Amino acid sequence: KPPSGSAPFLDVAGLRSLVCDVLLQETFYQSKGRPFLYRDHDHTFGPFLTQLVPALTAFLCGHNPLLASSALDLKPEVNYYWHHGEEVVVHGHRKGRVDPVRFQIDDKPHLQIRVPKQLPEIVPLESDLGEVPVIDHKPSKLPLFKKQYENRVFIGSKVADPCCYGHTQFHLFPDKLKRQRFIKANLEDQIEVVYRANGIASLFAWTAAQAMYQGFWSEADVTRPFVSQAVVTDGKYFAFFCYQLNTLALTVETVRNNPRKNICWGTESKPLYDVVEDGSVKGLNDEVLFHLVSFLLNRPKEL
Amino acid sequence: GVRQAQWLTKTKLVEGLPPAVLSIVNDPAHQLEGFEERVKHAISHARFWDTTEAAPRREHYCPVLFEDLIHVCRLMSAKYPSLTKRMLARNYRIAATWERESILLQVRGLNGVLMNSMTPIPPVASKEEVLATEKHVLETFYPISPTIDLQEVNVYKELNHTGFRDGYPYSHPHTLFFLESANIRPNRFRPEQLRAKMLMFAFGNALAKAKVLYGNDPKVLEQPVVVQSVGTDGQLFQFMVFQLNTTDLVSNDGIKNLVWIDSDQNLYEKAQCIPEIKKRVVTKPAGIYGFQPDTFKKFLALYLHGTV
Repeated sequence: KPPSGSAPFLDVAGLRSLVCDVLLQETFYQSKGRPFLYRDHDHTFGPFLTQLVPALTAFLCGHNPLLASSALDLKPEVNYYWHHGEEVVVHGHRKGRVDPVRFQIDDKPHLQIRVPKQLPEIVPLESDLGEVPVIDHKPSKLPLFKKQYENRVFIGSKVADPCCYGHTQFHLFPDKLKRQRFIKANLEDQIEVVYRANGIASLFAWTAAQAMYQGFWSEADVTRPFVSQAVVTDGKYFAFFCYQLNTLALTVETVRNNPRKNICWGTESKPLYDVVEDGSVKGLNDEVLFHLVSFLLNRPKEL
Repeated sequence: GVRQAQWLTKTKLVEGLPPAVLSIVNDPAHQLEGFEERVKHAISHARFWDTTEAAPRREHYCPVLFEDLIHVCRLMSAKYPSLTKRMLARNYRIAATWERESILLQVRGLNGVLMNSMTPIPPVASKEEVLATEKHVLETFYPISPTIDLQEVNVYKELNHTGFRDGYPYSHPHTLFFLESANIRPNRFRPEQLRAKMLMFAFGNALAKAKVLYGNDPKVLEQPVVVQSVGTDGQLFQFMVFQLNTTDLVSNDGIKNLVWIDSDQNLYEKAQCIPEIKKRVVTKPAGIYGFQPDTFKKFLALYLHGTV
């Protein structure tokens, strides 16, 4: 796990009451109607996350000067396009020719925080991190990479924005991927996989797009690692990920002699609280809260 | 417009912002360092940088600009820790009913984004000013009925509800934000109508809160309830501070409520997304023109009002 800077004095009780207040407002106090089509995530958890992150950011900006110059995006778009591997064109007038496989990720995190300075690296750029598993199937067998339409690279705002490095993204799961559905279908071991897949894919796209904004691409590889963090949640269970991008060189020519690998660290999903009833939050999990706070307090060493 | 809203809410209009807010505007201790840079970045982010297309639409940039400005204001809580005792509420519903000269009026439904705080805003007008409103005569528009252009509805329950349950810690409505973000001009409110809408909803919120605090009987309030309101279409800002002095609204005499309105404040004149080129020469490069820092200072002052 990445080390976080030690804060001088953190008002822990204040943090706890802030989180409880936000949670209670969205679930209990504000009189909303019933969720439309039982879509809880739009009705309760979406607003909860949208309120929680700015409130925590404001609370902690005295401790982390990087947050004081940050930019907050609500439902931004993050896109990245890259080549990796080769395939033979199957039909059409270019049949038989060898083409690089094109990948495009279009992501819409619920919230993201962008900052003007890069987060510090976690491990040195050239360290040896182990092997990446090789998969033989075509990527279009996965639902994520079926068809590739537009080639877009976007971190959430254009190149002219001074806040061009990413700090933390917050992802909210749609209702289709609720835990109960997995448990009902006897697929409990797949729950963590969903969190991990979301974390790795979104963070790779974000860090690689940030690197591309700085002028690096597959022929001119990154000279410094790009680090970003993400929190993936379904409203109650939180999983934390941080990603270090060491290389962009993934095309067929450049990947041959490239010893560098990108690495993602992540936790399992843990609940933030047990239950909300009668106007109070029961079982607030301090570990998850401190994890969230240390993520937000992460900053370069010189600040 | 605003005159009709004044009659319906029994309010006296004062031009400009109240002295308490103006003192916050002019006090250099409350300025954020380098705030002009940050506000310009916020405008550029909302108007230019936030999209993969060349220029974002108003539906997109109006809420983004609002979020960015609130983010800049919120970061002031490093200096004033009591600012963390605020909470935004989106998509909340308000309900308030009152009688004006035997016509039953009500304000209901989703209106804007509300910012609540744990502590109420102190009254902005002194007691003398409040008593002086007794002599003020409300404008009537004979022969036009004051309820012209209002929707006539059959009401079965006379409802008064602040939108939140009892025991909510952030129980005092602080500021209401209205974003006119429709793309097509006819779908947006004109500035005059926007101000009237702001007045009606600020009044509705204040009335609902007063009824919760002091009961349903019409009376003059010992502690007036103050609710602020900001309306914008992404470029033009309207600022309003409303003070509810009385819930006795049936008759036309007696103490009136007060509202201070600062209208039509431009945050910037023009935001050029694509440079204007005439005959292959760039006549107007892309950027923000006519930036007015005073408008943001007023926005910030309304945000800080009540805690400083």
